[in-house]
Amino acid sequence: MTGDAWWSATKKASLYLVLCIVTLTVCFPLIWALSTSLKPKSEIFATPPTLIPHSTTLENYEALLGGRQQYYQSGGASQAMGPTPAQFFTRWFVNSVIVTLGSTLISIVVSTLAAYSLTRFRYWGRSVIPYFSLLGYMMPSIIFVFPLFLMMVRLELTDNLLSLVFGYVCITLPFCMWLMWAFMRSIPIEIEEAALIDGASRYQVFAQVVLPTALPGIIAASIFSIIVSWNDYLFGRVFINSLDNLTLTVGVMLFFEGTHVDWGLLMAASVLMTVPMAILFMALQRHLVAGFGAGAVKG
Amino acid sequence: MDVKLQGINKSFGNVSILEDVNLLFPSRKFVTLLGPSGCGKTTLLRMIAGLEEVSAGTILFGGREVNKLAPRDRNIAMVFQSYALYPQMTVRRNLGYGLRVRKTPPAEIDDAVERVARILEIDHLLDRKPAQLSGGQRQRVALGRAMVRKPDIFLMDEPLSNLDAKLRVTMRGELRRFHLDLNATTVYVTHDQLEAMTMSDLIAVMHKGRVQQFGTPEDVYSRPANLFVAGFIGSPPMNFLDGAIDLGRFKVREAALPLPPLASGVAPGLDAVIGVRPQDLSLVDTAGSDALTGKVSLVELLGSEKLIEVQVSDRKRISVQVHAATQVALGEKVHVRFSAQSTHVFDKRTEQSLLAEAAIGEARQ
Repeated sequence: MTGDAWWSATKKASLYLVLCIVTLTVCFPLIWALSTSLKPKSEIFATPPTLIPHSTTLENYEALLGGRQQYYQSGGASQAMGPTPAQFFTRWFVNSVIVTLGSTLISIVVSTLAAYSLTRFRYWGRSVIPYFSLLGYMMPSIIFVFPLFLMMVRLELTDNLLSLVFGYVCITLPFCMWLMWAFMRSIPIEIEEAALIDGASRYQVFAQVVLPTALPGIIAASIFSIIVSWNDYLFGRVFINSLDNLTLTVGVMLFFEGTHVDWGLLMAASVLMTVPMAILFMALQRHLVAGFGAGAVKG
Repeated sequence: MDVKLQGINKSFGNVSILEDVNLLFPSRKFVTLLGPSGCGKTTLLRMIAGLEEVSAGTILFGGREVNKLAPRDRNIAMVFQSYALYPQMTVRRNLGYGLRVRKTPPAEIDDAVERVARILEIDHLLDRKPAQLSGGQRQRVALGRAMVRKPDIFLMDEPLSNLDAKLRVTMRGELRRFHLDLNATTVYVTHDQLEAMTMSDLIAVMHKGRVQQFGTPEDVYSRPANLFVAGFIGSPPMNFLDGAIDLGRFKVREAALPLPPLASGVAPGLDAVIGVRPQDLSLVDTAGSDALTGKVSLVELLGSEKLIEVQVSDRKRISVQVHAATQVALGEKVHVRFSAQSTHVFDKRTEQSLLAEAAIGEARQ
């Protein structure tokens, strides 16, 4: 091996080493959570701690995923011992899915139409609206929470999943709109004019030409909205009171209440919360980069 | 189908883009809107397409007013400068889109797409997306998309400007052939006078939102209506000299250059400008009243010809195109002879051709 080749191989090896260390550091909490969730109770606090469990069990996952059924079988809210958080896990999971998908759907539909209007029609203020909307996104959420809560009280929507849907829309819509605006600006107007001349109506132009071209932007904005809504704690804590209507992030905090924290159950819940996001992210990350890239360069 | 533009005006706010455009494009002719950037030619094309509203005036297709008709109801096809292909569709779907939205049966769409693809020699690209095509191939797909619907009027907005020089020459010939095959009226926009001259049946030269001259390529080249047309058409550009007309000759410094017979009726003493193309000038050995004397300041070899720049006064240079074999040295004193037949005369104040006016007057008598 010549000196240059040796040097180049060493450089490559050191780079990979650094990358491996960084990746392991980032992934360690998730690996640890997965490991703990698979350990029997007796092994969780064993010293020395083990990363790979000596014996594995799915009892934590069974408790979380089967808890709801047990709850109903044991008489629901009337049971003597009172309900446990595990019995509500699937319910909270469904609630989180509903508010996440609901708010994302509204944000995407409104932001796409708004961005189309801002880039294609001439009216007063259309050039400053995107920047103002971005300014709104830069405010801390805590500023919005209480005015929104008061509005929800008036609308009689407190302790209702709809209040969360609207709350998340308030947070995600400005950024989604700015992102879609930047993306729409990069779509040449000539392709719409070509479609108009080809015989398409305005609606057909939007549905058949603009939307498919804007798909990477729509995916990027959707991922952003999904992450924000799925991970929110603040709105869920303020707007919702009853156990039945909680979302995952707030609900999982209840595992800490009481004298005894069941770490195995908590870690299994964390893994189940993280997995859908991880799968979604891995499946769509290519579009996410394309979407944010278009916004960055042409926006 | 013929296209008639009557008193067309277009303005954006206070800015006037087009003023009183009156043109008739006869059926099945290849008509070019030619002019420099910002002259309003693309706006005019977009108004014919229905993509811009008309501020005032009427557009008629075959005698029917189309001002209020949507683009899709005009039975036109347009090729854009940027090609404007649908990026997410394959070439096949791009070509068939116009027929699909018009609810043509799928079998007919397939037949039409295959036929056009064969003509344009893009049948092997039908399953590719636009991003996988070269510039020339994209251009053909854009052309194919316009051809597949058999439109009455074909509109083209500088379709060759994104191609390299060699491909542009090839495509010029092909576009002309397609026009003859399609039998549709073609309106073509370009700023390239060579494209206009080689492809068109008729040319409308435009400048500052107005039509300067409308005629055959030969008309606009040989009988320019005004100074702008004379200077814009022809390469290398026409030489202009300021002077005054006196007794049928053009007085400029010590010379009295000959003028064509049509100029004999022009009022004596009128301030005028003459224009002569470099190809119509020649170098002679002896000085004379029909020649200007100067020193050679630049020699450019163009291939079979040489372009020689002669400094005839402190601030005036004229270009002369001679055969490449002509031996001329930099700084050499030469005599440039003007011929009466190829000299154009313009009124300095109005910038209009005095020969054209004289010809009209003669025709009236």
